[in-house]
Amino acid sequence: MLKQLIYVNLHPFDGFYQTSRSEKKGKYLVATVLLVIYGILQIIAYQYTGFIMNYQPIFMMNSIRIFLLALLPIVLFVVSNWSITTILEGSGSIGDIYIVVCYSLFPKIVFDLIGVIVSNFIISEEIPILQAFMAIGTVWFCFLIFAGLCVVHEYTVFTNIIMIILTFVAAIIIIFLAMLYFTILIKTINFVITVINEFFRRW
Amino acid sequence: MEVKRRSKLIQKIIFRLYFVIILCIVLSLLMPAGAVKAEYTFETNYIYDFWGFAKKSIPAYELVKTIDYENMNGVPLSSLDDVYASNGRIYLIDSVESRLNIFNDDYELITSIKLLRDKDNKIVIDPETNAQVILKNPEGVFVKEDFKEIYIADTGNERILVLDSENYYLKRIIKRPANMVGVTVFRPSKVVVDNAGRIYAVVQGGHEGIIELNSDGSFSRYFGVNKPRSSVIDYIWKTLASETQKEKMGKVYAPSFNNVDIDKEGFVYATTHESAAVYKVFRLNAKGENVLRNADMVIGDYYTGAYNQQESTFVDIAVSDFGAYALLDKAKGRVFIYNFDGELLNIFGGLGNIKGTFKEPTSIAWYGKKIIITDKKLAKAFIYQQTDFGEAALGAAENYYYGRWDEAAMLLEKALSLNSNYDVAYAGIGKNLLMQDRYEEAMYYLKLGNDRTYYSKAYNGYRAQQIQKGFIWFALIVIALVGYIIYSEFRYHKKIGSKEG
Repeated sequence: MLKQLIYVNLHPFDGFYQTSRSEKKGKYLVATVLLVIYGILQIIAYQYTGFIMNYQPIFMMNSIRIFLLALLPIVLFVVSNWSITTILEGSGSIGDIYIVVCYSLFPKIVFDLIGVIVSNFIISEEIPILQAFMAIGTVWFCFLIFAGLCVVHEYTVFTNIIMIILTFVAAIIIIFLAMLYFTILIKTINFVITVINEFFRRW
Repeated sequence: MEVKRRSKLIQKIIFRLYFVIILCIVLSLLMPAGAVKAEYTFETNYIYDFWGFAKKSIPAYELVKTIDYENMNGVPLSSLDDVYASNGRIYLIDSVESRLNIFNDDYELITSIKLLRDKDNKIVIDPETNAQVILKNPEGVFVKEDFKEIYIADTGNERILVLDSENYYLKRIIKRPANMVGVTVFRPSKVVVDNAGRIYAVVQGGHEGIIELNSDGSFSRYFGVNKPRSSVIDYIWKTLASETQKEKMGKVYAPSFNNVDIDKEGFVYATTHESAAVYKVFRLNAKGENVLRNADMVIGDYYTGAYNQQESTFVDIAVSDFGAYALLDKAKGRVFIYNFDGELLNIFGGLGNIKGTFKEPTSIAWYGKKIIITDKKLAKAFIYQQTDFGEAALGAAENYYYGRWDEAAMLLEKALSLNSNYDVAYAGIGKNLLMQDRYEEAMYYLKLGNDRTYYSKAYNGYRAQQIQKGFIWFALIVIALVGYIIYSEFRYHKKIGSKEG
């Protein structure tokens, strides 16, 4: 499984083509494990990034919050990309998108982990070097997502760029609706509570 | 039947468990992370830590003496607007009674000036207006010891009066200079004088800057640039608006200064309380630019716009000999003391109805190591003296300013033993240790003080030491690596060579 993962990371077009066509059950497991590792890595980075690069108040760390906040954009991206591409003739299923995104996390995880470790042994003059090194992981990650989405949706490069822009628009709409929903929910609950209070006061 | 019921029960419990877990997750997302800012703190004394959270602290100053009508020997006292203190004299300006009251070391009234007399103790008649020279709603006073002169900003009469500081006779009257330009009305409210005798007068609401006069009273220039804060939304509106709309919008004026002070090097310090200003506190160089260190952090109370928060509105600034300056905030009656680096040292004072609290603080001045704060509504001047903690903290700041590092570190350690939330001290001790090349201890203190710049320097030294200590291991690793590469190359070529051969 690891062999396949590395193959996908080094040969994204070929690799994602194979993973999206293969019937192996394990691929979802690998993807989920990567996603969980990514979340845990964010917690590790919060606490164990070297003091010079770490501006986080460690005394008030909330690991569940960090974990969920790390996963939120990824899940949001998967959902919004799926909702856009199903309308616009993308041939990838939501499972395919999920696998593309999660497999692409691999280089980011590796480079960020190295970055966290090395950040404990550097001085402030060396921060730009380390950040440049960690940027490799992020760029690689973005490229893998782009390539993977191209393959699974069978899009041309240009269409894919438009789809990714539309994905962000969809993500904003989803966030807006979610906020709207929660605001209305809170208002409704408040209303019910007020009515009950009034009722008991006048009883 | 029993089994079915039980399984249903278990299902129910599991369902509830799920619900609780989801609720926990949602709550953990909704909860504000960690402590809340000063909002619900009942301690009046606090200080901000590295992340801007309010932490309990000890006041550096405590009330020791009050000057009020009891000290006035029957002279009326209705308000206090400005204070200046030097050489054992305290000068208090009362703008309602239009008096300058001068007190000595023991807080006894020496004299109270309203009607001005000349050298021969005769009443002065202004030759232009043929009237007696009487103070009218003066708002500011400044004393220049080098010239033995008292400067009174006689705001109501739109002039500055210069008095002798020993016998209190009138020396000069400075009226609106004939060569003055601009639209600012010459109503000097606060006034300072630099070592060359140049007079800097602040006009309340004067958008053109501080009026700078030459020592002979002629107009020199408007001094100090105070840029208005521009926002993106304003910019968007401006680009969308038509010409007539723009006219109706009104001009954005540069925020005006409301008070000044001057340090011994001749730098003019100024404050503004207009919320549109980029900076609230200024240290102006000769060109009129702000050279205050860390100026965007000198803001008093942290302000995020949250409920129950108030932005600090500074009404006066007092600069000490060692570069530390005290800022007086009208909104909450607080005094903020910063050192010359712009690090917050202490916060004390507050509005209220108990002894030592203010109603409407107007002015602040250093009186040796003491601080004098005047209150307009109470018509009182409060004299604050240093507490043990204040002595240690400010003594350390003074020693640090003059480069006496070891004394500074000693005092900082004392300050820390009194107040472990005093973050500036950790960084200060760390810097001192760093200078002595005690890197590991320095790192410990600098980490506590959240000083990443100096921590990096300390770590650089520490790392160099460690590498030196374990140099043999580093050398071995490098040799092994190089050896392996050479060996593998050698083997690879041998393989190819054998294939070819």
